[in-house]
Amino acid sequence: MTPPQPPPPPERPEPARPPDATAPPAPRTTAPTPPAHRTARSRIRRAFTEAGVTGQLHARDIDTGAGLAVAADTPVSTASVHKVCLLAALYREAEHGRVDLTAAVDIPADGRTPGPTGLGAMRDAARLSLRDLAVLAVSVSDNTAADVLWDAVGIEAVNRTMTALGLTRTTAVQKVRDLYAALAEDAGAAGAAALLDPARVARLRALDPARTNRSTPRELTALLAAVWRDEVCTGAYAADLRRTLGTQAWGHRLASGFPFDDVRVSGKTGTLPTLRHEIGVVEYPDGGRYAVAVCTRAAATAVTLPAADAVIGTAARLAVDALRAP
Amino acid sequence: MDLLRHLRYFRAVAEERHFGRAAERLRIAQPSLSQRIRRLERELGVRLFDRGSQGTALTPAGRLVLAEADHVLAAADRLAAAVARIGSGAAGTLRAAVPPHLGPAAVAALITGYRERSPGGELELRELTTTAQARELAAGTLDAGVVRHPCPAPGLAFGPVLHQPLGALLAEADPLAAVERLTAADLSGRALVLTPRADDPALYDEVLTACARHGCTPAAVHEASGADFTRALVLSTAPPAPAAPRTPGAAEAPGAPPGSEEPPAPAAPAPGGGAVALLPRTTAGPGTVWRPLAGDPIGWRTSAAWPADGHNPAVARFAEAAHEAMRDHAGMRPARAAAVHPRPASEFPL
Repeated sequence: MTPPQPPPPPERPEPARPPDATAPPAPRTTAPTPPAHRTARSRIRRAFTEAGVTGQLHARDIDTGAGLAVAADTPVSTASVHKVCLLAALYREAEHGRVDLTAAVDIPADGRTPGPTGLGAMRDAARLSLRDLAVLAVSVSDNTAADVLWDAVGIEAVNRTMTALGLTRTTAVQKVRDLYAALAEDAGAAGAAALLDPARVARLRALDPARTNRSTPRELTALLAAVWRDEVCTGAYAADLRRTLGTQAWGHRLASGFPFDDVRVSGKTGTLPTLRHEIGVVEYPDGGRYAVAVCTRAAATAVTLPAADAVIGTAARLAVDALRAP
Repeated sequence: MDLLRHLRYFRAVAEERHFGRAAERLRIAQPSLSQRIRRLERELGVRLFDRGSQGTALTPAGRLVLAEADHVLAAADRLAAAVARIGSGAAGTLRAAVPPHLGPAAVAALITGYRERSPGGELELRELTTTAQARELAAGTLDAGVVRHPCPAPGLAFGPVLHQPLGALLAEADPLAAVERLTAADLSGRALVLTPRADDPALYDEVLTACARHGCTPAAVHEASGADFTRALVLSTAPPAPAAPRTPGAAEAPGAPPGSEEPPAPAAPAPGGGAVALLPRTTAGPGTVWRPLAGDPIGWRTSAAWPADGHNPAVARFAEAAHEAMRDHAGMRPARAAAVHPRPASEFPL
């Protein structure tokens, strides 16, 4: 894949020009914070505390731009959530003719990025198209599939796409295999058990937004809003990107807050020791569409922690309900 | 320009989203506040607020400044606190904390151990929950602490983690008191007394998860922090009559069984039996006994903690003294590594 021409990045330090997903749309009425939002924010903070996590959240009405923020501008280590940035760049590059989504890639049996699902868990050589690899990367957070895509698109192109969307604090610095190599190195000889040791976990580079892939909850909802508003790519590309982002199999986090058959939830989780995130879009039958990013860090190092997973859904619904309040 | 003061004004307006309310909160006149914000905007060369007819909203630049202002003001507060302590002659004092229930022997050994390592150094020791310590360590009002895990970790570093086994505090009259070495499963169906969940939610949940893992599903959970109240709860929920083991359909025994020569129980038996407090080895108060659990299945994990960005030799001495005191005087041992079987949804390989 030849390196694509970058779209010109905004030169001036002024707020970026459209498509600028971070700035609210111009006609937005900037009313003082409604009381419903204040109540929701304090309930969300309380829910995080009760679940034993430190949490950050941003929720955004995709059509009005109205938002609700809890520590939404503090950078986070994005973990697998960054796969959404990767897919956004993949589809944008495809629309510009620089990548062929149907091109088949050989995935040999050896040298795969480790992971508990998908190609990462499979043993024999495979051949899949880029768009099918994208489905695996979202549906089961397949790390091998994601790294094949990272290799095809390139870290620079992903970062350039984010900059072009006005997302200046969303940056990738490593592919999945490099992230896990750093994790294994930091764990040291003790291996997996070290990842449960609080003293060791506190020192993991993979958790430090300064040293790994990073973003902020506010920028992550801006990215999702841009995808849903056809600002990343358009037409069939945008529709297929949204379809792919709707294939995730897990329901224990964001979706658990919306157990309603008539509400559509698309999302992508991100997980590292003590970190549990999910970003996604919640669509109601009345046309209301909300992008939500919930990023948490648990006090406990336990790998299985259902309360920390569930509070992501709880917090998201409190936020979406506040945005939907009359 | 006094940048710190202007940033404080800016933060107030950003939080209130309203110049009038912010001025009221800051107790200054609104025109003066507006003037100062304009001055800050000139100084930084960006517009910070959109001043609409219906309110005041942060610009994207304003949001960025707000995030940074929080860091700058927090650092300034820490600096002021540090300078104030030097001014008051307290700079040689290490401000430290221990969690409740660490045990008098361990606390005494910690103080002695620190004094031996730091001749002339003062130790200002308080008892604080883990959550409160994490907050104070981040705010710079605490230099070091002994915390229980899970502990919120952002910005903190920890010493080696030690395991403190929990046992059962029972009423003397409880039939389980006769058993020398109980299992966790023996406590299933009882009411448990734990330290309040609000103090350390993650710890509370972890203890209950460990109970469940080892066959103990409590019928109820009561919360108590002090030793006296804990003992009162254990004593006030009477144990079941010895002749009435847990059997389905044993609900017809609110009083003494007919024909029994035993004096009637002091209170109506609680469903499933008396309450049991889970505590580290302790000197049981009157009317109660403490029993270990076989295999030490349930415990508190404890370590020293300090701010990750600090390089304070006094903190290192405290951490060392704390580790030794807990190991030698509270029966704590290095935490055991358990098997880990992550579920596929955990995403990362172990």
